[in-house]
Amino acid sequence: MVDGVKRAREAAGRVAAQVTGQALGPYQSAVVRIGFAATWLFFLLREFPNRAELYGPDGPWSWALAQRLIDSNHAFTVLMWSGSGLWFEIVYAVSVLASVGLLLGWRTRATSVLFMIGVLSLQNRSVFMGDGGDNVIHLMAIYLVLTRCAQVWSLDARRARTRGSATATAGAAGPVLWGVLGAVFAYGAATGRFGFGWLAAFAALWVVGGLWWMVDRYEPEGEGRAVLDVLANLLHNAGMLVIMVEVCLIYATAGWYKIQGSRWQDGTALYYPLGLDYFSPWPALSALVAGSGTLVMLLSYGTVVVQVAFPFTLFNRRIKNVLLAVMMLEHAGIAVLLGLPFFSMAMIAADAVFLPTGFLVWLGARVAVRRRRAVEPAADPAEPLPVPAPR
Amino acid sequence: MDSNEHEPAEGAAPPSPRAPGIAGLSTPYRVVAALALGAIAVAACTHLALVFLHVAPANTLSKQHAQTIDGWIYPEFEQNWKLFAPNPLQQNIAVEARAEVRGADGDVTTSGWHDLSAEDARAIRHSLLPSHIRQNELRRAWDFFTGSHDENNEPNGERGRLSEEYLRRIAVNRLAPRHPDGTVLRVQLRSASTSVPAPKWSDETTDTQTYYRELPWWTV
Repeated sequence: MVDGVKRAREAAGRVAAQVTGQALGPYQSAVVRIGFAATWLFFLLREFPNRAELYGPDGPWSWALAQRLIDSNHAFTVLMWSGSGLWFEIVYAVSVLASVGLLLGWRTRATSVLFMIGVLSLQNRSVFMGDGGDNVIHLMAIYLVLTRCAQVWSLDARRARTRGSATATAGAAGPVLWGVLGAVFAYGAATGRFGFGWLAAFAALWVVGGLWWMVDRYEPEGEGRAVLDVLANLLHNAGMLVIMVEVCLIYATAGWYKIQGSRWQDGTALYYPLGLDYFSPWPALSALVAGSGTLVMLLSYGTVVVQVAFPFTLFNRRIKNVLLAVMMLEHAGIAVLLGLPFFSMAMIAADAVFLPTGFLVWLGARVAVRRRRAVEPAADPAEPLPVPAPR
Repeated sequence: MDSNEHEPAEGAAPPSPRAPGIAGLSTPYRVVAALALGAIAVAACTHLALVFLHVAPANTLSKQHAQTIDGWIYPEFEQNWKLFAPNPLQQNIAVEARAEVRGADGDVTTSGWHDLSAEDARAIRHSLLPSHIRQNELRRAWDFFTGSHDENNEPNGERGRLSEEYLRRIAVNRLAPRHPDGTVLRVQLRSASTSVPAPKWSDETTDTQTYYRELPWWTV
């Protein structure tokens, strides 16, 4: 009995040390960051010619219509701050730049906030233009703000490596970004554009960001810095947990609701989307797949089995990895077959949170070697970060 | 990382390379960190529980706490993962439109029906990166309309009125370029629903006749 209590206390102590001492899953958080930043960036670039029709003030979902809807649902979008075309172009451009910044991991906490503001502003402006892919990006853009997702594979990590972690916040870009964001937040707050929740969130982000910079600058070895580190680790680990559970909820919901459908039960479900004009960009390919009853049945059943099973396979590394590969391949197939490239890319980016560290390190090393060969003979040294224990 | 598993003696000066995590902090800060750990853990679990109740079918708990759940989930954490579930859509719903146009000569004519969805389909075909304006705009606008109207095409509340104006604007945007010399006075929309024929390898038969749902004329 006493032994049990002691053991439980020790275990709790170990967990507390882990979640306060490290931002777990540095490679996983980095790959999720890169995946979602790239997805949204490609989407914005692809839709650049159509941006006015999608989100512009004079698109079919006009500024006035959006205003009426947002009056009732109070969704967050800076695009409602002004109905001018210029403001819209600025927001779109900033969203592109924030995606690039997040992709490269430049001043990542600030760019992740900007990224979230960009995603939410554009999507909430025209909710009826989106689909499941937009929905995933929307959620992950919020969750990513919580994480320390630039520990590896980022410009921030490289700066910390070359200049030492204490001067990681050196340079003018940090304070400038902080000042600009502060001005924008202050404007939003003063004109009453934020709800209470957003006001509190932005104020907290801004104050802690400033505090962090001060402490890093003037007392890098002090206890204040250590406390902020602990808080950031806690927030990161909670954020990663939320991201992982969210992915499980997505698959569980998708799978369990399918089980209830007669078409998934009789094994013909996949046949029907292949016959829909909106989901068959390659009619010959769709017809080929739809032509085989056996193939359709196996793919339909396989989809349900994988989606329902996935959350449970997390308890077994090997099966989890096999299923992960299967799901990523299936999404790559969906990208082409059903014409949903951005949805598929977003889902693959979300799946990537479960990739094993060993694979990600291997992948990173390969990319680094390729880049070094391509760019210059002598580049920066390999990642010095110790490889965390595989999950 | 072993160091943080053994807490240093209370009150001892922190070692110069500080132990990572909560172990490297002095007692008051440790209390702060512990409180933060508790608060963040509770917040994360609460959020996940609310998301779970939001995506789960209506149940005892989600009905009891409907207001709390909706208050937290909407608008930013809304999600719908019933992808092609419980059953995938089994019919092509094409939206067609026609316009009443006053020509340059002042005569008012009514155009024939244009299949707007077929234009979307043409744009999507053989494209690796179909655009949202082709894939989602009209399709979801029609869903929005049918979801916010009764069978007699009467709007139920503000959402219904919004969807009408949205559909009207989409139709005008797409019809107006066809009549460069005229003015579009009114538009009318209808849907043409055709079931996907039963697979040739199955013994089912499906009624593949096209059914129309015609909306009233709307003044532009």
